[in-house]
Amino acid sequence: MYRIRFHGRGGQGMKTASRILGSAFFLQGYEVQDAPRYGAERRGAPIFAYVRAARQTIQERGIILEPDLVIVADDSLVPMPAAGVLQGITARTVLLIHSGETPETWRHRLNIAGPLLTLPAEAAAGAEQRFVGTALAAAAARLVGVITHAALEQAVQLELAGLGREIVSGNLNQALAAYELMAPQAGLVSEGEARAAAACQRPDWVELPLDEADAAAAAIHAGATSVEVRTGLWRTLRPVIDYQRCNRCWWVCSEFCPDSAIRVNAEHFPEIDYDHCKGCLICVAQCPAHAISPVPESSEAQP
Amino acid sequence: MSDEVITVYKHMKDLPSSRLLGTGTPMCAGCGGLLAIHQAYDILGEKTVFVNAAGCMTLLAVYPYTPFRGSWLYTSMASAPAGAQGVRDALDIQLARGRIKADEDLQVVVLSGDGAAYGMGLSSTSGAIEHGLDFIYLCYDNEGYANTGQQSSPATPHGARTSTSTGAQGFGGHKKDLFAIWAAHRPAYVATVIATEPVDLARKIEKAKGLKGSRLIIALSPCPTGWDFDPQETVEIGRLAVKTGMWALKEYENGKVTHTRVPPKRAPVEEYLEKQGRFAHLFQPRRNQAMLAEIQARVDDYWAEVEAGNA
Amino acid sequence: MTRALITGNAAAAWGARLAGAEYVPAFPITPQTEIIETLAGWIDAGEMECRLVTLESEHSMITAAGAAASTGVRVFSATSSQGLLYAMEMIYAVPGYRAPFVLVNVSRGLQTPVTLEPDHNDVLAARDSGFLQLHCATCQEVLDSTLIAYRLAEDHRVRLPALVNLDGFYLSFTREPVEIPDRAAVDGFLPPYDPETTRFHAGEPVSQGVVVLGGTYYSYFRYEQHLAAQRALEVYDEVAVEFAQQFGRRYDAVETYRSEDAEIVFFMIGSFSTKAKDAVDRLREAGQAVGLVRPRLLRPYPAETLRRALEGKKGVAVIDQNLSMGMGGVLHGELAGALYGQAGMPPVLASFIGGLGGRDIAAEEFYEMAAVTRMACQEGSTPPPRLLYTADELRQMRKLQAVAHAERMEGRK
Repeated sequence: MYRIRFHGRGGQGMKTASRILGSAFFLQGYEVQDAPRYGAERRGAPIFAYVRAARQTIQERGIILEPDLVIVADDSLVPMPAAGVLQGITARTVLLIHSGETPETWRHRLNIAGPLLTLPAEAAAGAEQRFVGTALAAAAARLVGVITHAALEQAVQLELAGLGREIVSGNLNQALAAYELMAPQAGLVSEGEARAAAACQRPDWVELPLDEADAAAAAIHAGATSVEVRTGLWRTLRPVIDYQRCNRCWWVCSEFCPDSAIRVNAEHFPEIDYDHCKGCLICVAQCPAHAISPVPESSEAQP
Repeated sequence: MSDEVITVYKHMKDLPSSRLLGTGTPMCAGCGGLLAIHQAYDILGEKTVFVNAAGCMTLLAVYPYTPFRGSWLYTSMASAPAGAQGVRDALDIQLARGRIKADEDLQVVVLSGDGAAYGMGLSSTSGAIEHGLDFIYLCYDNEGYANTGQQSSPATPHGARTSTSTGAQGFGGHKKDLFAIWAAHRPAYVATVIATEPVDLARKIEKAKGLKGSRLIIALSPCPTGWDFDPQETVEIGRLAVKTGMWALKEYENGKVTHTRVPPKRAPVEEYLEKQGRFAHLFQPRRNQAMLAEIQARVDDYWAEVEAGNA
Repeated sequence: MTRALITGNAAAAWGARLAGAEYVPAFPITPQTEIIETLAGWIDAGEMECRLVTLESEHSMITAAGAAASTGVRVFSATSSQGLLYAMEMIYAVPGYRAPFVLVNVSRGLQTPVTLEPDHNDVLAARDSGFLQLHCATCQEVLDSTLIAYRLAEDHRVRLPALVNLDGFYLSFTREPVEIPDRAAVDGFLPPYDPETTRFHAGEPVSQGVVVLGGTYYSYFRYEQHLAAQRALEVYDEVAVEFAQQFGRRYDAVETYRSEDAEIVFFMIGSFSTKAKDAVDRLREAGQAVGLVRPRLLRPYPAETLRRALEGKKGVAVIDQNLSMGMGGVLHGELAGALYGQAGMPPVLASFIGGLGGRDIAAEEFYEMAAVTRMACQEGSTPPPRLLYTADELRQMRKLQAVAHAERMEGRK
């Protein structure tokens, strides 16, 4: 069975990617199970999607714990434990990261023994750039080696049918490009075996202790703990203030930042909290002095 | 404008400069609802307990993270005002019996999206106003059931595309007049606001804060995800909602409705509509002149009534 | 202390009054309405310091109850049947606030068809909700159980809301002698409300009832609630002892009547259990070794105590005044689950469905149920479940049906 996981953020097309790959396998004659996993609808929130494909009926369900292939659409998710990108990776798992950085940099950073590839990310950014689902699905199709280009094309058309001819043809081009790019590694991803029952470790079950009601209630006995969540990791563009042009106009940017991520210092200059700024760029659009500019995140060091 | 307004907030520079609502919430980048809430919270302060109805903002408090420096209680979709009733009554009982001191009291604020406020929440809201419940009700109106993917709600405007109205004409219904429904109950105060007019919003929150009884506020909340536009356009779109007259800024108090902003020369509604993907079908592949004219006419009629002193 | 002839509804109201309930969110529904009318009368007359607010629906009512309890006051409310079901979203939600309060349910059969008369489908629909459940057989027990429920729910080791059930009509509107204790005696048993850390006030921010993402965390909160409910078994026993010491009346989690040496026992909850006691006495006079086992506490489920009570018995006639559609009697299924695989348990659990919508269970029906169960023990096989319904009743039903379908029948001829 092929067990494949996609990781990305809402809006990047991970659900579409899993559907395209799933359909491609299906058209190729495989039994398939594909699904996305996310919480409430949110652009920017981490999601994952998965595809299982096999010649026989698939009985497994849910989260893939031993992937043959892990695909990451947004490389800022890799260091985030909550995103679970590296969960269950073994020496035979192929890791494909959509990134502006090189495979060598990533191999070094992650200290990973298994195969690691990148799908190069463009330097420019914007809404169109964020949607990389089709390209990644196509890359995956080539890496497993058993999906023809014809099946892939048909899958793309099937899954994007409602979006109009222009969008579909644009995606077909992206798919072909990614499919070709992965040609040297065709078949690098192989089907994994199900682990024998005897080979599994016994689960470490505990008796849940009865805790006091105030600890065991779904209540947060503190204020503003949300500051620990670094929503700054959502950004692809960061707003940068040119303090030469800023005229401290009663801090419009701070007022119009929905996320309380712009504070005003003692000298009445605004300061952007990059740990939390989501990169909506309202401040860029609203600054009366045009003193704030959007700068691509990848060209700066990650915080 | 009404008689001389006594307010702390005359200009942008009078607005609070510190941000009370914590950052790091999972709302979409550019959320017009969060913008209104953080502006209101700056003025309402941390001696508040927000009682929430199911909607996007329910995700503000996800264990163990909360952005509130005050308190919060999640209830259900339909019954947040009833939750507010319980909290307010319990605080009053404890105050009366000396179990809490006056400076420990909290303002009770219902926080609800349009999905709850315009629909199933009407039952409990009606009951609360009828009781003269002393609370503030803040509705962030993004004109659809946004948290579940922008299905049409009773607040969806005519012609908008939603995930349950995908045809060429968009949503066939008309936006319910929640302001009128609330005002018909004769509560202490009703107002419409928008975060893109922060001084107007601040004055109204300040006024609401100083009154007793049921005080209900609707904040039109431009929604990048649901209305389909780039997040950085949130403020511009909000401004256009007011400039075109599609979102009237007004107050109800003591039987009278007063508009706090009457756009002198309204921009054509198209300027507002064409910026949003949810109205794209009114312009592409062909201009839907009939629908645009219909929308314009409704807006014109509304302001004609205002001018005639009937609204 | 006074001994007076009062209805079950009045007894519930007295329970709330003596417990010093501070807040009563209310909504009327038959057969519960007298409870809130009685409380309203006392409050208006200045006899009870309490705030009563009528909400516009039971869903709102339970929301207000949970919210007020979470803010820090002692809350009481009451409902029945369709009202309980209308509130069901919040009946499941408020136990998770871990703020205790007491809700009285006056049981009434559920629609469809509509009825005003009692059975237990309404209260049993709440059995998975997280509310503790106490079931009463007499008007005295109603008053006493309300006090016990507050003491139990508010215990530091529990902190869960509790539901006290009494049967509509047979208790709600029926007067029986009830000892009404003095407030001072009650104060000696039930201390003033202590919100502990579940409260709202300035200076201590708290976000209650929040969202959680991830099965790992959700499982924790839910199972902790269950563990606390189970802990209530131990706490209940302590509270029952304290109550007995203070008031001289003993309410074990499971009532047993002449069951020590019984071979066959009736097993049921609610007010009809006194009819079962009567049947037990008659059968004993006739030389049969019969008894009654009646759970008072249904949530938490007193499995261990039930096993001890039933150990060595030959057969149990489980009488369910409820019906789980497509499955059968709820008490029967839950009892079977508690006994299965345990040594020394009765080999025969016979299921009887009776009393739906207030239908009487006649003395001869109790005798027949005992006989059927005895026969089953002798034959070594459990009979299929039986609805208590006579040929005469069926004839009556057919007569009404004929009227209801008369036109159609005419047309067919």
